[in-house]
Amino acid sequence: MSMDEQELVRQIQEGDEMAFGKIVGIYKNKIVNFLYQLTGDYQKAVELSQETFMRVYFKAHKYKPIAPFSSWIYTIASNLAKTEIKKIQKVSIVSIDDLHNSHKSGAFVRNPADSGLIRNLRQALNSIHPRYKIPVILKDMEGFSLEEIAQILKSPVGTIKARVSRGRNYLKRELEKSLKDNVAPL
Amino acid sequence: MEELNILEKLEKVKAPLDFEQKVLTLLTTRKEKKQLMIKNLRLSFAGSFAFLVIFFILLNVFVLQKKGPLDFADLEKGIQTNFQKKGPNARGYIPIIEVVDYSKEIQSLSYEPQTIYILEQVSEEIKGNIKY
Repeated sequence: MSMDEQELVRQIQEGDEMAFGKIVGIYKNKIVNFLYQLTGDYQKAVELSQETFMRVYFKAHKYKPIAPFSSWIYTIASNLAKTEIKKIQKVSIVSIDDLHNSHKSGAFVRNPADSGLIRNLRQALNSIHPRYKIPVILKDMEGFSLEEIAQILKSPVGTIKARVSRGRNYLKRELEKSLKDNVAPL
Repeated sequence: MEELNILEKLEKVKAPLDFEQKVLTLLTTRKEKKQLMIKNLRLSFAGSFAFLVIFFILLNVFVLQKKGPLDFADLEKGIQTNFQKKGPNARGYIPIIEVVDYSKEIQSLSYEPQTIYILEQVSEEIKGNIKY
């Protein structure tokens, strides 16, 4: 954690909204993207991100600079996502129409390299249990180390390692199954 | 692992352009709500406390009030005793109030003869049997 961030958090703890605005600016894209990968729903991801930042502001006094600030904010986001996924009680799948509408509104840029394979991967990712999905996304998409993920999810490193491995294997199996069935239209 | 490279290729979304503005607006709303809630909570506590104080005062005045013994001064003022209020036919004991200076009793104990107390009816209105 940089000294700048630490100073910003200290200012937030004193109720400084300017510092809070800077933190939002730094983390907004990371958090929205992380929550989008978890929920598969862009609007839900934006709502959860807003709630994440609200908690950052109102619970700032609970933050202790023992852990990096990034770990803390990802912990909040993960917990919110887990609660939301439990609430929904079903797997969210993003339809092409939703993606198209979001693209038209300029909310995010769609990867032109997107193909049937990637869409199958998206579906597999959406069908995986959050217990495995969160560590996999944190590791392979957000680039956190196993130790950092263990800190974020408050679990032992060994457990996280196992969950990442199982999550990857699951995705691999799902992708192989999709390729074998050749059901992925381009 | 091949799928890991693909994971990196998954579309990455960005926050909407007005995200920061929305968050700050939401923050202002939440802060106002919180302040209002704190204000209401304080008023509720103050109201509850005031109600409890009034309740105990009223309880003390109207329910738990204990009447002490009457002295001569009260009688001279014309304050009626319970007995007088109930009338001469009331059953029970008649309160007799007598002033005794114990300090003099102790001082004179050694050389004065034993004190004899003569009990007599204080109230002249009572004609019934008197129990001592």
